Amino acid sequence: MKIHGSHRLPVGRERAYALLQDPEILAACMPGCEALVKVDEDLYEMKMKMALAAISGQFAGKVRIGDRNPVESFRLIVEGTGKIGFMKGEGLLRLREEGAETEVAYEGDVHVGGTIASVGQRLLDTTSKMLIKRFFGRLGERAQ
Amino acid sequence: MASTVTKTEVLFGKKMKRKEDPRLITGTATYVDDIQMPGMHHAVILRSPYAAARIKGIDARGALELPGVAAVFTGADVKDVGPVPCGASLPGLRVPHHHVLAQDRTYFVGHPVAVVVATDRYIARDAVDRIEVDWEPLEAVAEPEKALEAGAPAVHPQWPDNKAFDYHQEHGEVDKVFAEADVVVKQRITSQRLIPCAMETRGVVAEWKSGEKSLTIYTSTQIPHLMRSLVAGMLGIPENRLRAVAPEVGGGFGSKLNVYAEEALMGFVAMKTGKPVKWIESRRENMLATTHGRGHVDYYEIAAKKDGTIVGIKLKLIQDVGSYHQLLTPAIPTLSVLMMPGVYRCQNIRADIVGVFTNCVPTDAYRGAGRPEAMHGIERMVDILAAEMKMDPAELRLKNFIQPEEFPYATATGLTYDSGDYAKPLKKALGIAGYAALREEQRAARSAGRLMGIGLSTYGEICAIGPSPATPAGGWESATVRIEPSGKVTVHTGCSPHGQGEETTFAQIAADELGVDFDDIIVLHGDTAIVQYGIGTFGSRGTAIGGTAMYFAIQELKAKIKRFGAMMLDCDDVTFSGGRCVCDKTGKSVSIQEIAAASYRAMKLPPKTEPGLVATYFWEPPNFTFPFGAHVVVTEVDKETGDIEVKRYVAVDDCGKIINPLVVAGQIHGGVAQGLGQALYEEAVYDDSGQLMTGEFMDYCVPKSTMMPWIEDSNTETATPVNPLGVKGVGEAGTIGCSPAVVNSVVDALSPLGVRHIDMPMNREKIWKLVQGGAA
Amino acid sequence: MIAQNFEYETPSTLEEALELLADGAKALAGGMSLIPLMKLRLAVPERVVDLRRVPGLNSIRVAEGQLHIGAMVTHYELESTPLVRRSSPLLAAAAASIGDVQVRNLGTLGGSIAHADPAADYPAALQALEAVIRIAGKGGERAVSAAEFFVDTFTTALEPGELVVEVSVPVEAAGTGVRYEKCEQLASGFALVGVAARVAKKGGKVSMARVGVTGLAGSSYRAKNVEALLEGTTGSAQDVTRAAAAVAEGKEANSDIHASADYRAHLARVYTARALRAALGTAG
Repeated sequence: MKIHGSHRLPVGRERAYALLQDPEILAACMPGCEALVKVDEDLYEMKMKMALAAISGQFAGKVRIGDRNPVESFRLIVEGTGKIGFMKGEGLLRLREEGAETEVAYEGDVHVGGTIASVGQRLLDTTSKMLIKRFFGRLGERAQ
Repeated sequence: MASTVTKTEVLFGKKMKRKEDPRLITGTATYVDDIQMPGMHHAVILRSPYAAARIKGIDARGALELPGVAAVFTGADVKDVGPVPCGASLPGLRVPHHHVLAQDRTYFVGHPVAVVVATDRYIARDAVDRIEVDWEPLEAVAEPEKALEAGAPAVHPQWPDNKAFDYHQEHGEVDKVFAEADVVVKQRITSQRLIPCAMETRGVVAEWKSGEKSLTIYTSTQIPHLMRSLVAGMLGIPENRLRAVAPEVGGGFGSKLNVYAEEALMGFVAMKTGKPVKWIESRRENMLATTHGRGHVDYYEIAAKKDGTIVGIKLKLIQDVGSYHQLLTPAIPTLSVLMMPGVYRCQNIRADIVGVFTNCVPTDAYRGAGRPEAMHGIERMVDILAAEMKMDPAELRLKNFIQPEEFPYATATGLTYDSGDYAKPLKKALGIAGYAALREEQRAARSAGRLMGIGLSTYGEICAIGPSPATPAGGWESATVRIEPSGKVTVHTGCSPHGQGEETTFAQIAADELGVDFDDIIVLHGDTAIVQYGIGTFGSRGTAIGGTAMYFAIQELKAKIKRFGAMMLDCDDVTFSGGRCVCDKTGKSVSIQEIAAASYRAMKLPPKTEPGLVATYFWEPPNFTFPFGAHVVVTEVDKETGDIEVKRYVAVDDCGKIINPLVVAGQIHGGVAQGLGQALYEEAVYDDSGQLMTGEFMDYCVPKSTMMPWIEDSNTETATPVNPLGVKGVGEAGTIGCSPAVVNSVVDALSPLGVRHIDMPMNREKIWKLVQGGAA
Repeated sequence: MIAQNFEYETPSTLEEALELLADGAKALAGGMSLIPLMKLRLAVPERVVDLRRVPGLNSIRVAEGQLHIGAMVTHYELESTPLVRRSSPLLAAAAASIGDVQVRNLGTLGGSIAHADPAADYPAALQALEAVIRIAGKGGERAVSAAEFFVDTFTTALEPGELVVEVSVPVEAAGTGVRYEKCEQLASGFALVGVAARVAKKGGKVSMARVGVTGLAGSSYRAKNVEALLEGTTGSAQDVTRAAAAVAEGKEANSDIHASADYRAHLARVYTARALRAALGTAG
């Protein structure tokens, strides 16, 4: 599934870029993220507990940052596997200064498998959008 | 002599309620899941979440630690169990070794990886979550045309081109007629992957009796005898020590015309654990791991003369095989080729099939199996040709039909059509629909800006499959008819009905032939310990072949009855009719019940006659049968939303002689529902990585009763000379006739917008985009 | 399709139920969403609190111009109870369009809205009705508007441990025209889009218009822009079309295998126009 969109952060581009690569910030802002442990340069192991209304599931996965082009763009790869399935999201994030704020545009692909793929397809799009929105919402709060 | 009443009512042709239904609709039938045994274990299968992955390791310790778990088996445990069989053979066919559990690699989402056996289903299911598999996901390919592209991921690494087989068939002077043709039309036509969705999912109970060294497998199958022969081979046990039972089977539609890994696996588990074991497939597993149907991409070309005479047909057929060959996978598209000329007199054909491996569950038979694809193709092409030539599609068909006096007709594909009068159902259907008036109404609708369509199909199909030389496992059928000492009649049929109503129609035939009450006849089937070897129910064969076998067994019994009658009446010339033997000279008679009692008591026997009244007959048919029919469909498209309304559905089917009009109508209704499903709603959607996106009824849309149009069904009756009953078969007719008629109707509705073809399913958005002028 | 083990509680008072919920248990109303999720193991609650024996959640009553409906009232009761059909025909129509008979016999108003499926039917009606949702928690009760209640996909204003206890909608004034128009996703019965409309006319002009939308975006919403465009007009066919054209503005439409975002937005416009036309047709 292709995803794309943009969100605004109430900080300048340098600060936004730094925030988006700070594992502590990422851990605090990624919905369901319980722990993010650095295992290598640009590679983190992640524990995630997703809870969406009645739906819940635990995932273990990885977060990777690549193609760094400081303050302009970078690539974020998030993978998770759990009993209810697995997901892999890969996206290019582009940062654009908008006055005192920064617009973060993302574009990428989300792949899901297992139970969540075969019974949840009608909700994948709306759910991923919501999770991304939540992420940027929290990031925005943190940024201030 | 007690009774002198002669039974005269003829039941052949009579509308009768089915014997099967009271138990089915009151919940008193016994399905696999109703079977309970003391000490029975329950099995749950761990399936691959990846379409392609390497299994680097499996750690089942966590599962085994759970109290109540008896065993966990993985690929290594079953590597010596024989492969899941492919019964079809084609030259150069590539057959991957299909283990009952994945070995070091999985090939589709749903591929069985391990089985947990526990004291109850809940524990077994919990334990599945405790098995740790070290997966290495691999690149997958889910779409057959993509799989054929250079550089596509190899489904089976040993065959990087992903080709499962090639098949070529040709007749006549194809190149010449195409070169000389006045008109050639071409079209790519798909017949999408469908999920059969039998109401009862698969299920297996296996019981090993160690003292007797015998295994019993209860399974929801269409072919208990073939299943027994093949699974006995897989497990390495003598065939006569394996009993197969198909109890009540809640629909199959071809998806249970198979031998599955789970059937052998449960046998293996029962033998290893020494306890009976039950596995019941969940709906999700059913959609993921039971065979799918269709999966064609067809490139058609059709050549015609100026006057509309069809002179040549070319077909390049790409069959999505899936990851493995199941029992008949490669044979299904060859059926499409056999039927590619349809009901038309065309002697120049060329077909090339390429079977393609994909990382999806295998395709195999699904209601119609190869013929819906063929009829959809030819019936779409005839409409496209009619549009190109600005001819009325009904007229173009009438012009090209094989004529009644040409039967038996040798087709370009090597078949001999038995009998037919193709104009008859078409004219009847057009009459019922009021074709001329509908075209008037359409003109008015169009000038008012409405999108109204009239579509028709005139299909032919190949049924009563089939003569043994043309069938992978023998094409005959068997019956034993036993008149009990009381005169009650027990029929054992080798075909294994599972919803077709043969307990009823066979009883109608037997009641007429023997002159006994309908209620005094029972038809048993599906248990290899009770019933002599048989083939099964598929390919619209049950009544035409199994019914005929019973008919001939009865004829043998009738001869014997007459010998007893002659002896008892002390008369040389007796007639048997209406359940009585009558002495032609004296008019004295004895009833069949009296004869039955005397035959078993055996105080005195006619010359060269054994006691008892039992006969077994194995009937080998001389040919297939070829039913046909015409469907007319009126639709209207909502311009704003793309919604399609089916306003009229007229079905005139000719399935030969009709035994029970109610059963025939039921088959047509059910068949049309599945045809409409394909035309409008159903599609197994895999994403690029081989994940099934339609893994539940939340996303896979089978038509509900409220979505069905009123079906104006009727028949014509053209007897077949192939069997003495004159019956052809009707199980698949509705499906085969339906989808092209519906698509032709919607294309007709959109034709003022320049639309020439629409691929199925014709969902709203696709239609809306066409109305908007975009590409579908 | 086999759920994980769980504890099952059947409290007989609301206090007891709230106590259990505060302790992390999951509320079970009609079970039409929760049970399938549990069978798929997408939901694995350790403890389930069945609300069926909690008194006071089943009532349907009218007081002070409001129709008050207990959270455990089923869809079937809503579609068939004369008091509801009279007092809020829009809510009855939304209830009648849910799933199938079996689902309507068991599914409840409270359960459905607490689950907040982005394609459920009630939210459209409750947005158009400006419903008030009464919520109980261990700390007491509070009431929120439908607009506040539906936050996002599967996300409501409910805090952990809280429960929907009642939904209140206005008793429809004579002369108000209402309509729920739904484009059904044919497999699931959920709405690709569903539009609830309420309109009233005074002196030949549209004096009130309320439009609630479900299925289009991550959450249901009230299409205030459509309402504003329609109010004050005569409600002609053109007025309706022009107003309805605005229904998806500013919304990110959902996309799935059944409908792309563009098509969903188009359907929203078509169904908004249909709902408004029908509602205007019955408005006095």
